[in-house]
Amino acid sequence: MYVYLYDNFLRKGKYEALVKSMENRLTDFGIAGKIIRLQNLTNAQEIVEDEVRKGAETVVIVGDDTTFGHVLSRAASAETVFGFLPVGPDNAIAEILGIPSGEEACEVLSRRRKIKLDVGWVNNRYFVSRLTVEPAEISVVYDEKFKVFSEPGKKLELVVCNLMPYVENEKREKIIIHPQDGKLEAFLRPVARKSLFKTVYEEASVFPFEEMVVSGNRAFTVEADGKKSKETKIKIKLAKKKVEMVVGKDRQF
Amino acid sequence: MFQRPSPNIALGANENNIITHADEVETVVGPSVHVEGDFSSEGNIIVKGTVSGNVKTSRVLTVEEGAKIFANVRANDAIISGEVKGDVKVGEKLELTDSARIAGDIDCKVLVVEAGALIHGKITMKGIEAVEKSEKQRDIKRGLGFGGKGRLSLEETDLGGAVVE
Repeated sequence: MYVYLYDNFLRKGKYEALVKSMENRLTDFGIAGKIIRLQNLTNAQEIVEDEVRKGAETVVIVGDDTTFGHVLSRAASAETVFGFLPVGPDNAIAEILGIPSGEEACEVLSRRRKIKLDVGWVNNRYFVSRLTVEPAEISVVYDEKFKVFSEPGKKLELVVCNLMPYVENEKREKIIIHPQDGKLEAFLRPVARKSLFKTVYEEASVFPFEEMVVSGNRAFTVEADGKKSKETKIKIKLAKKKVEMVVGKDRQF
Repeated sequence: MFQRPSPNIALGANENNIITHADEVETVVGPSVHVEGDFSSEGNIIVKGTVSGNVKTSRVLTVEEGAKIFANVRANDAIISGEVKGDVKVGEKLELTDSARIAGDIDCKVLVVEAGALIHGKITMKGIEAVEKSEKQRDIKRGLGFGGKGRLSLEETDLGGAVVE
């Protein structure tokens, strides 16, 4: 049984025709199922677990990168196969997973090419795409072995990538991370200078890791899969092969 | 709840972006970053900053100009243009460029030193050990191991005049 989780933005008129044609295509493939519309305050974990209890074998996320992160950050531990139908402009993750947008995604879903993906774990929740610590005076201890810090008074930005590519602003260099390599990748950039309009960073340091502790004397802002919080210490771990996902043959890893 | 990903990092909508795939992702210690503690990796390591602790990799270690390592270094191959205060043990090839400064013993198989590189320490190369070993084995085979004569003359050996008692 298939269950489809629709993001709230799909109610907009401009997506109506596309969603309708995708639904028709799913019916053609014989994989149409129950549709649940996500609201802003919906607890994705409860919904997914409830549907799995009722017999859902595949939970399909319909929306963009934000929808994907919102659902999987809570529901990654559910014992089910996840699918993804990308709709809208912000769909970098779908591209990495080899899922085309629009109707063609239905065909990928029907083929059920499944792989298990690594996900990140931070302070009791999962993150699938990316975690960012906004520039702050932090120090990072990797795998309980070595400590990384910047010169005194210099702020560091930390980006931990899993599915989402890492992009260096100035060079526009994009690094695609392999989500099954048994490691998370951390990119640390000291802030060189900050003006009203622009923050200039120094060259990034890159550390593949399985576990890291980030701490600071003052609270710093953490953003994981689009959700922000203030922390003074966070522990980031790798959850190996946690999510079983339907992917396309053109995936980038 | 539905927020955009980090405002600091723009996603590449530009088609001209350079895309690097995960296999090429290496460990990089940036220029103004300090690392304290034993630092090891299964992939390539590039050091551009300061490392106070042992550095170990089973692949290539690159220490760029201006970088500093204050401890022992172990790698399969290494290219050093920076400063190392500690022993350097390389399984295969060690390349020292003109800006390299090594204060410690070097152990490697192949050594390439560019004019201007500074070394203060003992250099041991694996090749010599292997030649000595094979020469000794040949001595034993010809002299003591098989013939048991006890003394070999120069004509009986090809060891360049060595006499085995």
